[in-house]
Amino acid sequence: MINFSLQEANPMLAPEYIPLAILFILATALGFLVVIIGNLFGPRRPSIRKAMPYESGMRPIGVGTRRTPVRFYLTAMLFILFDVEVIFFLPWAVVFRELGLSGLIEMGLFLLILLIGFIYAWKKGALEWE
Amino acid sequence: MFVPFDSTMLLAILPEILLVVLAGVVLALDAAWQPEKRRWLGWLTVVGLAVAFILTATVSQPESEPRLLFGGMLRDDWLSFAFRLVFLFGAAITTLFAMDHEALGRKGEFYVLLLVSTLGMNLMASAGDLIMLYLAIETTSIPLYILAGFITTDDKSTEAGFKYLLFGAMTSAVMLYGFSLLYGFSGETNLYLLAGKLGELPMPALLGSLLLVLVGFSFKVSAVPFHFWAPDVYEGAPTPVAGFLSTASKAAGFAVLMRVLLAAFPAALPSWQGLIALLAVVTMTVGNLLALAQTNVKRLLAFSSIAHAGYILIGVVAVNAAGMNLGMASVVFYLIAYLLTNLAAFGAVATFGRVSGSDEMDAYKGLSRRSPALALVMLVAFLSLSGMPPFGGFIAKVFVFAAAVEANWIWLAVIGVLNSIIGLYYYLTLLKYVYLYRQDNLEEEQKPLPISRPYALALVLLVIGIILLGTAFNPWFEWSRTAAASLF
Amino acid sequence: MIPVEYYLGLSAIMFVIGALGVMVRRNPLVIFMSVELMLNSANLVFVAFAHAYQVLDGQVFVFFVMTVAAAEVAIGLALIVSIFRSKHNINADTVNELKG
Repeated sequence: MINFSLQEANPMLAPEYIPLAILFILATALGFLVVIIGNLFGPRRPSIRKAMPYESGMRPIGVGTRRTPVRFYLTAMLFILFDVEVIFFLPWAVVFRELGLSGLIEMGLFLLILLIGFIYAWKKGALEWE
Repeated sequence: MFVPFDSTMLLAILPEILLVVLAGVVLALDAAWQPEKRRWLGWLTVVGLAVAFILTATVSQPESEPRLLFGGMLRDDWLSFAFRLVFLFGAAITTLFAMDHEALGRKGEFYVLLLVSTLGMNLMASAGDLIMLYLAIETTSIPLYILAGFITTDDKSTEAGFKYLLFGAMTSAVMLYGFSLLYGFSGETNLYLLAGKLGELPMPALLGSLLLVLVGFSFKVSAVPFHFWAPDVYEGAPTPVAGFLSTASKAAGFAVLMRVLLAAFPAALPSWQGLIALLAVVTMTVGNLLALAQTNVKRLLAFSSIAHAGYILIGVVAVNAAGMNLGMASVVFYLIAYLLTNLAAFGAVATFGRVSGSDEMDAYKGLSRRSPALALVMLVAFLSLSGMPPFGGFIAKVFVFAAAVEANWIWLAVIGVLNSIIGLYYYLTLLKYVYLYRQDNLEEEQKPLPISRPYALALVLLVIGIILLGTAFNPWFEWSRTAAASLF
Repeated sequence: MIPVEYYLGLSAIMFVIGALGVMVRRNPLVIFMSVELMLNSANLVFVAFAHAYQVLDGQVFVFFVMTVAAAEVAIGLALIVSIFRSKHNINADTVNELKG
């Protein structure tokens, strides 16, 4: 468990972080090392095929940046909106018992307003794919 | 100060509850009804808003002492009460203007977004906590982004919505960073508890976070240098939406500005007074000078609304810590007068644009012969905007300038008066088109301008309001004074 | 433990990168990402100080900021799609129907 106190004299030397720091340094060093060694000692025989974008070993089909159909935007928007509401459920669920009946009623009202929005989106056909 | 929860607190947020219920009902009916029945959604919204207005005015009046409700999230006082009524009224009038707009009138979404935005404004006016404040500002802005870009088949409208969104998202991010620093320096999110902690801060830290927060507020009230969006957005957005943006949204911005400056930054009072005074001068002058060159009426009104933000800022400057002077009361009064006047101006433009399909000044030639009634509405609205008696705009300007003189900001009042004279020039230019010019080779009488019933109702209400504010101003001013006094 | 000033420094760097991104980049999607970066820099300050003071307000704030950011992005995407439909281009410089 990490010690959450602000009175620590030298913050950078907190003992809990030393393994993490070692891991961080080693990982960074290894990453650089592999690339550098490969560049230094590896043979270089460039060809058109190697310069092509990698697409699971096949020849690339079409250009790399294709336009996404607008439908996805609508779905993504709805997803964002209804997904974010979940962050309010989590703290509520943690203290559910302490809040008692009034907490339940308030969450009911919250859900009711959300539900009206959902029904509206449904009725307007925002959930249809075509 | 802080009150523990009891059921009477629900009464204090009655207008907000009613708005949520109304928005839910309209959205559900929009999904359930056939398109030809949806015209009634507009009337449903208007009636709902009228009911909410009456219930708010009678049932949910605040108690004599300001209270902090729901753990300090909301402050129940006369200022929030006054602004809520103003917003509900503005939303109802905007609905009337939108009802016969062919691209807006039959869309339930339009009314829902308008209602949600009004809900956000209500919360802005009563927010007592940074969390609530941020949420309220975003609840106001996000529906307005969509409303500005509502007509998806019109390139100008989508572009207006997009620009509004880009500027709005950026400035609100800057403001949020300011909020985070305020929280960081004090460990509090409640505006009224913040003040005590912020007093001990070094000045640079305090002013730095104040500047960041002011960026967001300047955007909402369209003060220079965060005004770029206004002309483009007003021109591209549907006219009723532009009217709502320039009045209710701006009033909400000022409500927040007043509350935050007085509640959280009393420690920096002289510094922010100087800053806001500078902002006021630049905003007035830039708005008025750029308005002179405009040929599109909606752009003209956009620059005029920037200039008016400058006048209102004068009232914000002219405050003293005890709160016994005119300053804030004149701001509240000015906002009420400005809401009525500018809604009337945009309403007249919307009525005209619906029939003629143009917002260019040239198209307004000979309007007085085509529709004397509409020309009269424009006369009242533009004379009130320019600050001529006996209209509301005159009294409002007098109070603001008097407040500045009373607080020893005489040079500021002088600049304000000079600016009003520039303003007079371009308002009268438009009236010249309406009353003196004639269209070439055309008999204007042959092209009458029909005014449909919702427009007529809204315009008549607004004109009566403007004249009432300009003649029997005393009860209104007392009301503004009560509202402003509850800030302290 | 890492002192809170370090978080403040990191968040200031993030904020400046985001603000520069908004001003320099012309692709609306990248601008939105930059705005997101600015929001997250504020989030970092909130969380860091909430932990430093041991009060939860800051963490609650972050929840709401996340929701608002999602709503903003959803609307931004919707507007971009509707602009793209008519213009087939979303560069912020070519969206200039309105002068200014």
